Amino acid sequence: VTWLQKPIFVTGATGFIGGRICERLVLAGATQVRALVHTVQHAPRIARLPITLCTGDLLNRESLRPAVGDARVVIHCALGQASGILRCTKNLLEVAADARADRFIHMSTAAVYGEKPSPSCETEHAPLRRTGDSYCDNKARAERAVSRFVRRGLPAVILRPSIVYGPYSFWSTRLLKALREGHVALIDGGKGACNTTYVDNLVDAVFLAIENQHAVGESFFITDGEQITWGDFVRAHIAMMNPPPTVPSISSEEVITHYRQQLGLWASSFSEARRVLLSVEFRKMLLQIPACERVLSAIWSRLQAFDQGTQQRLKAKIRGTSSTIGLLTLNENGKYIPDLTTWATESHTVFFRIDKARQVLGYTPRIPFAQGITLVEQWLRFANYL
Amino acid sequence: MLGKIRLGILGCGAITQNAHLPTALRDPCVQVTALVDADLNRARLLQRFVGPSCEVTERFSNVVGNVDAVIIAMPNHLHASTTIDALKAGVHVLCEKPLALTAAEARACCEVATRKGLVLAVGMNRRFDDRRVLLRRALEDELLGSLTGYDWQCGSPWEWETASGFYFSRAQAGGGVLMDVGVHLLDSLLDWFGPVNRVDYQHDDWGGGIEANALLKLHHFGRFGEISGSVKLSRTYNLTNRLMVSGSAARAVLPEADRSLITVHRLLGGHEASMTLRLTESYSPDESFSRQMSDFVESIQSHREATVDGWQAVGVLDLVERCYAQARRLSEPWAELDKARHEVGA
Repeated sequence: VTWLQKPIFVTGATGFIGGRICERLVLAGATQVRALVHTVQHAPRIARLPITLCTGDLLNRESLRPAVGDARVVIHCALGQASGILRCTKNLLEVAADARADRFIHMSTAAVYGEKPSPSCETEHAPLRRTGDSYCDNKARAERAVSRFVRRGLPAVILRPSIVYGPYSFWSTRLLKALREGHVALIDGGKGACNTTYVDNLVDAVFLAIENQHAVGESFFITDGEQITWGDFVRAHIAMMNPPPTVPSISSEEVITHYRQQLGLWASSFSEARRVLLSVEFRKMLLQIPACERVLSAIWSRLQAFDQGTQQRLKAKIRGTSSTIGLLTLNENGKYIPDLTTWATESHTVFFRIDKARQVLGYTPRIPFAQGITLVEQWLRFANYL
Repeated sequence: MLGKIRLGILGCGAITQNAHLPTALRDPCVQVTALVDADLNRARLLQRFVGPSCEVTERFSNVVGNVDAVIIAMPNHLHASTTIDALKAGVHVLCEKPLALTAAEARACCEVATRKGLVLAVGMNRRFDDRRVLLRRALEDELLGSLTGYDWQCGSPWEWETASGFYFSRAQAGGGVLMDVGVHLLDSLLDWFGPVNRVDYQHDDWGGGIEANALLKLHHFGRFGEISGSVKLSRTYNLTNRLMVSGSAARAVLPEADRSLITVHRLLGGHEASMTLRLTESYSPDESFSRQMSDFVESIQSHREATVDGWQAVGVLDLVERCYAQARRLSEPWAELDKARHEVGA
C-alpha cells in the first residue's frame, strides 16, 4: 500500500494549486482524497472529481478535526490573508500532529524573502528576515511554525515556489485583461526574473516531498529551472492575442522617481496611519478601552451576519489588497506607472536555485516553459479568455 | 376555491429567500401559512418576513390541513418524494426544477397528480420570460427564414449563495451544470424547437463527481422543421451568455443579461442591420417568478394544467438521462497530461 491508497487531506483545494493537486492525486490513483472547502461557491472545479468535499474553516481548529480525520498525508495550500496565514497554518499543524500524520506538506512561497529579494537569497540557506510586507512576513512566520512542529516530531516539508502558472492561474487571466486594457509595462525592458513554476512541476515536487524521507524538515525552492524573465512571460501571452498589443517599457528609475514625488509627507503619513490603524496590535490596545470594545464587538457581530464570501470581500476592502500585474497609475506625462508591488516583483533579477530540490527530492522539472505556456493557451481558449 | 390560497413553502434556502417567498408575499391571491425546513433556524429566519401567524416546522406532515398548495424548494433529491407526499395529502404543488432526479420518478409524480386531480407545476421560471414569446412569434412569422441552427452558451463562475451546499453532491443534486441551469435551457429548446431525436453530449465529470462544464449537440424535429444546435454550459468560465438562432434570412440573438428582448440581425441593402424586439403589450405585470406564481394560482383556481406541468419536466429529464447515459469525457489536454506518467521519477 503506497501513500496514494491512504487518506490524504488537502487545504486550498478550491484554489489554483490545491485544485490541481486534487486532480493529480486522482490521476495518480488516490482513492481517499478529502478536500477542505471553505467557500462552497468556489467548489465547481473539484466537485468534478471522485473526492470527498469537507466544509470547514482553517481559522476554526475544531472544524478541522473531523475533516482531517485519519489523514496520513496533509497538504496545506490554503492562501489566507495577513495574520490569518499564521493562524490557519498553526491550527492545521496542531490537528495534523494530533492525528499523527505521516507527512505534512506546507506550500510556502519564495516571497518569504520579500517581493524584491536580495541576490543572497538565491538558495534556501539565506536566513528569513522581516521584509515589511504583510504577506511575505506572515508566510515566513508560518514557515517558522512548521519548523517548530518538525522539532516536535511532525514530518513536515516546506516548498517555496515563486510565480506558479498554468491553467486556472490568475497570472495568465489577469495579465490578458491588463494587456487588453493597455495596463502593462515591461519594467527595465522585462529583464526581471520571473521564476516560473508550471503547476504540474510543482505538483511533482509535492509528490516527491511526500515520498522522500530526506525531505523532512527541509525547505525547497521549486521553479521550472529555466531563467524565464518577465519579458518572456508577458511576450508569451502577447503572442496568443490577436491583434497583439504593444507594451511600453519603463525603467525602475522612472517608477521610483514617480513614487518619491507622490509620497510626500501627507501621503506617506496617511499610508502609515492606515497600517497602524489596521494592525492587530492597535486593535488589541483599543479593546482595552471599554467603549471601543463595545463598538468593535458590535461591528464584529454585524460582520458575522454576512456569508463568508461577503465577509472576505468586506475585509479585503477595508484592508486594501496588494495589486498585481496591471494595476497602474498615471504620471503627470500620461505614462502608466506600475504599482510598487508589481515593480518590486518584476524588477528583481534573482533566479532562485533548485539544486537542493534536485539533489534531495530528485526533482526534475519535466514541463519546460514552452510546453507549459502552450497548455495554458489551450486552456485559455477553452475557457473563453482568448 | 374561495379566499386566498394557503401556501406552504418547503425548503427555506437561498431560492426561497431570494425568489419564492418575496413573490408569494406580493401575490394578492396567496397567504403564506407555513414555512418548513429541516433546519428550523432557517425557517424562523424567513418567518420574520411573514409574521408570527405563519407556522414554522421541520416536517411537511405537520402542516397538512393548514395549506392548500406548496412550493417545494428543497435539495433536488427530496423533490419527487415530497411532491408525491404533498399530492397524496391533497395539496397542489409547484416544485422547483428538477422535478426529480430521474424521468421515472417524475412520471410517478405526474401520475399521482392526475389521479388526485391536482395541479403539478414545475419551477421553470425562464418560460415566463418575454423572450420566450418573442422568439416563438418571430419563428411563427418566419422572420428568420428557414432555420439553419442555434448556438447557446450559458456560463459564469458559480456564485449561487447556496444555504445547504447540496449542489455539489451527486446523490443530492443528481448532476452538475446540466441538471442545474441545463434543464432550464433544455426546457426552452424543447418548447421552441420540439423533440430531440439525436443528441451528443460531453462533460468534464472525472467519474464520481459532478460536471462543471458540458457541451451538447442536439437535433430537433418539431413544428419548425429540423434544426440542429449546440449548447455550452459552464460553472467555471464566463461564456458569451447568449442564444443565437440562425435562419436563411436573419439571425436572432437572445442575451442572458436581458431576457425581455431579442435582437434580430439581417442584411439590409447589402449591409448588416439589427433591430431590437420587445413586447409592447402588457403581457404580465412582473418578472418571471411572479408570472410563474400567477400561473400556478390561476391553474389552481381554474382547474387547468400549469404552463409548465410535470409531463414537460418528464420530457426534459428524459433528455438529461439520455445525455448522462452517453456522456463522453470533455477533452482537457492541459489536465490529462499525466495520465500516462503520474508517478514522479518513474
